[in-house]
Amino acid sequence: MNELSPPRAEIPIPAAPVGSEPAEIKAERYRWLKSAPRSLTLSEGNLFLILAVIIGLFSGMAVVCFRITIEWIRLALFGSALAPSPARVLLVPAGAGLLVAFLIQRFFRAARGSGVNQTKAAVYVFDGYVPFRTVIGKFITCALAIGSGQSLGPEDPSLQIGAGIASALGRRLKLSRDKLRLLAPVGAAAGLAAAFNAPISAVLFVIEEVIGTWSAGALGAIVLAAVSSAVIMRWFLGSEPLFRVPAYNLDHPAELLAYAALGVVGGVVSLAFLKIIAYFRPRLSSLQEWTRYVQPAAAGLLIGFIGLRLPQTMGAGYLYVDQALHNQYTWEILAILGFAKIVTTSLSFVSGTPGGMFAPTLFIGAMIGGAVGGLEHHFFPQLSASLAPFALVGIGTFFAGFLRVPITSVFMVIETTGSYSIALPLMISNTIAYLISRRYQDVSLFDLLARQDGFELPSMEEQREQVVLRVEDAMRKMESPPLQSSDTLARALEIAESSAEDILLVRFPTGRWASVLKEDLHKLAENNPPDALLREVLPAGRLPVLHPDQRLDDVLRLIQGHALLPVVSRAGARIVEGVVSLSDILNAYQRAT
Amino acid sequence: MSDGPSNIALRYIQRRVLILSLIPLGVLFAITVTLARTYHEREAGLAREWFQRGNDDFSAGKPAVASADFRNALSYDPENREIQLRLAEALLDGGHAAEAKAYFQNLWEENPGAGEVNLNLARISAQTANVNEAVRHYREAIYGSWESEPVRQRTNTRLELCEFFLQNGRLNEAREELAAMASDAPQGQAMLHEQIGRLFLKAGDPAKAVQEFEAALQTNPRQSQWLEDAGKAAYEGADYEKAETYLSKAERENPSAEIGELLSTVRAVLRDDPYLPGLSDEEQARRTWNAFQQAFERLRSCVATSGASSNLDPTGELDILTKSAKQLKGRMNMRSLVAQPELRNDTMRFIFRIEKVTSHVCRIPPGSDQALLLIGKKYEGGNQ
Repeated sequence: MNELSPPRAEIPIPAAPVGSEPAEIKAERYRWLKSAPRSLTLSEGNLFLILAVIIGLFSGMAVVCFRITIEWIRLALFGSALAPSPARVLLVPAGAGLLVAFLIQRFFRAARGSGVNQTKAAVYVFDGYVPFRTVIGKFITCALAIGSGQSLGPEDPSLQIGAGIASALGRRLKLSRDKLRLLAPVGAAAGLAAAFNAPISAVLFVIEEVIGTWSAGALGAIVLAAVSSAVIMRWFLGSEPLFRVPAYNLDHPAELLAYAALGVVGGVVSLAFLKIIAYFRPRLSSLQEWTRYVQPAAAGLLIGFIGLRLPQTMGAGYLYVDQALHNQYTWEILAILGFAKIVTTSLSFVSGTPGGMFAPTLFIGAMIGGAVGGLEHHFFPQLSASLAPFALVGIGTFFAGFLRVPITSVFMVIETTGSYSIALPLMISNTIAYLISRRYQDVSLFDLLARQDGFELPSMEEQREQVVLRVEDAMRKMESPPLQSSDTLARALEIAESSAEDILLVRFPTGRWASVLKEDLHKLAENNPPDALLREVLPAGRLPVLHPDQRLDDVLRLIQGHALLPVVSRAGARIVEGVVSLSDILNAYQRAT
Repeated sequence: MSDGPSNIALRYIQRRVLILSLIPLGVLFAITVTLARTYHEREAGLAREWFQRGNDDFSAGKPAVASADFRNALSYDPENREIQLRLAEALLDGGHAAEAKAYFQNLWEENPGAGEVNLNLARISAQTANVNEAVRHYREAIYGSWESEPVRQRTNTRLELCEFFLQNGRLNEAREELAAMASDAPQGQAMLHEQIGRLFLKAGDPAKAVQEFEAALQTNPRQSQWLEDAGKAAYEGADYEKAETYLSKAERENPSAEIGELLSTVRAVLRDDPYLPGLSDEEQARRTWNAFQQAFERLRSCVATSGASSNLDPTGELDILTKSAKQLKGRMNMRSLVAQPELRNDTMRFIFRIEKVTSHVCRIPPGSDQALLLIGKKYEGGNQ
């Protein structure tokens, strides 16, 4: 396995000179650069931001071409009617499946899968390296697969295409490893923003699922790339949101209960979908190598059979999501379409056909959401008769339950529909679905896929849920009051004798703190008169002060060289809350494990 | 980054690569522009092609096929309101009212003032007996915007609304709407006046109907159908002089048995009516006397026909009337009728009662008895 691993030799060493000319000679020739006005020179930080914009432009256009290619392939293979002839429906996905499998097995092995995990692997395993060949492979094979009716979407591949473009540009620019690692998420955000026409969701998804932290260094570049990419997308393919939705109003707070019920159903169904993928994918992957040539074709044939009755379940299915959002199906049809799409998407994905899970997730969510809404209206006619709000909330609910990105799921629905009024029921339903999925499935889909592929990538979900230890978890009360800098040596000795601590803190009126050992105090008393003030005899220097809410991880860096640190209130540096020593911190970590 | 020789070289390389990257960016831009333009043109072409096919199929009376065509067209141009509208209409025509309503509803949400959308929503609501919603949409259609021939569309919608009111027994609302239409209707719109006239008749306002038919006749005073309609409306409204005028003209233009029969009834009414303005006391008395003779004969013949059957006259009213008639006959003569207007009135009221009861027991009589019945209805409101 490990088809993602590039040969280590292919990873460029960023600082290495290019060409045969030694760097020193080149430097000599271009010494004028050094004397150029500062405004004309680019720091690495500025270069990175400009590069983010360029990555956004490249990714945006690549994704536009990708989307159009998918449509051209669909037109060429199925014709322009929404209901193509049965022969085409049966044969096209199977035939294209054969071709896709051949291309994957022979030329683009790294193009398998959705693209999200491969991007994460590039960040955490391959120092931001995504081979450009993978970008080309992803483009061709995914366009063929999705255009031929495989039940997959173009978003995750777009994400990987963006990451691949960013990686290639970074390598050409000889960026450092650190910057290269950061570039892949930047490109991923650009690709996803263009695919979804939703830059905010793309930024959130990359932060929530790929890099896991709100790093200031990365955030600016990610936002710039996502915005420039979305601008390109809107310029070429229009600025309308992905889905047009009717206006929604919450007529009565009790309606929220209906959405809570949708959250429960969405959570259970998304969990079932996740389990199906988790069960079948490794089993099909472990079959003999030659079967990989036919698995996508076999999946295509089965999808074709389903497509004969339910053509809506083929391809990405945006049009039908839009129709569901406009009440154009009864709840029974919505339920059938939702469950049929689970089957077709599972077939496509576990067979190793390249393509994304986002679009099918939206489809299934919309259908299941609408079906639940219709069923609830059947039993409680006082609920709104319109299935559209339920379909809309269903999208987010399924997204939260299946992909386990709760924040992105809320913003994604709002951004792809332009509907802000749905936020309240959406948050309730998403949270319930997420909690159900989290309760009964330890790892998220992407982490699961990574582990099945033999990667131990950092789980952003686990990171989010890790207990963060803070100073307040380790600090203890001072057994004796701190000394004042205005105390005399005699008074200080008196206090020290009555204290069980070996080390005492000294408070200065300016908010400065110092510490002194008992034995050092005795030495000072021997060499100075008893009425000498502490501030006169103590050596210069100040202790770092801590606050109760500071992370213990950060404190470990500060405590080096100090036996004890004061913990003071944020309301005033003179108000002491307690003290912390290194052993206190270690004890806290021990207790937490 | 320190400015060592390697870093200066690296910075140079980075700047060069950054600038050079604009070349592939430009190439990719050109490819994307070409691809996008070609694709958009193809999309627009397919939308047009499917839309045309849909229109053809719809015109050929194949709404199901047309729906599929319009759906295909819509998949290439989802924001196109015209396609959405045609799809909804095809669905409605194909009997998929619920689905059509969803499309119309979406169109309505985008543009609540669209006349055509409101009209279709009104029709769907009317089909589903949602009267208030139908009326609301009809009104929104009347005051909404129309893309072509707005005046004609609004007028037709108003007429349809009136029909809808009449079908649902909301006569007052129908009359109000018709009155508003009649006042707005421009002169010379004979067909419109004719339609309003017919609806006024259905709404139980024959006097207004006559006015509308008269307005129509101003454009062509010899149009036999309008003459007949005006005559019948006047007859309905008990304006027998006008009825006689129009029915005579109608008979001259286009004689028919129906008009002839109606005309003879009208003429009998005019001949026998003692309350016509301008009649002398003697003439009124003569008509009253004749009417009484006629009614008395009618009573006798009805009693003879019905016999002693208590089924036909369970309350025995014929017997009571016969006794009263005989008493009245005994104390009434021409002189007393001329001298006593009250006696004439009492006699006529008695005659109306005889005609009404005998019409129930022995069916509506032809000729003079029918004329007396109509005179009774005219002056006593038919509620005696």
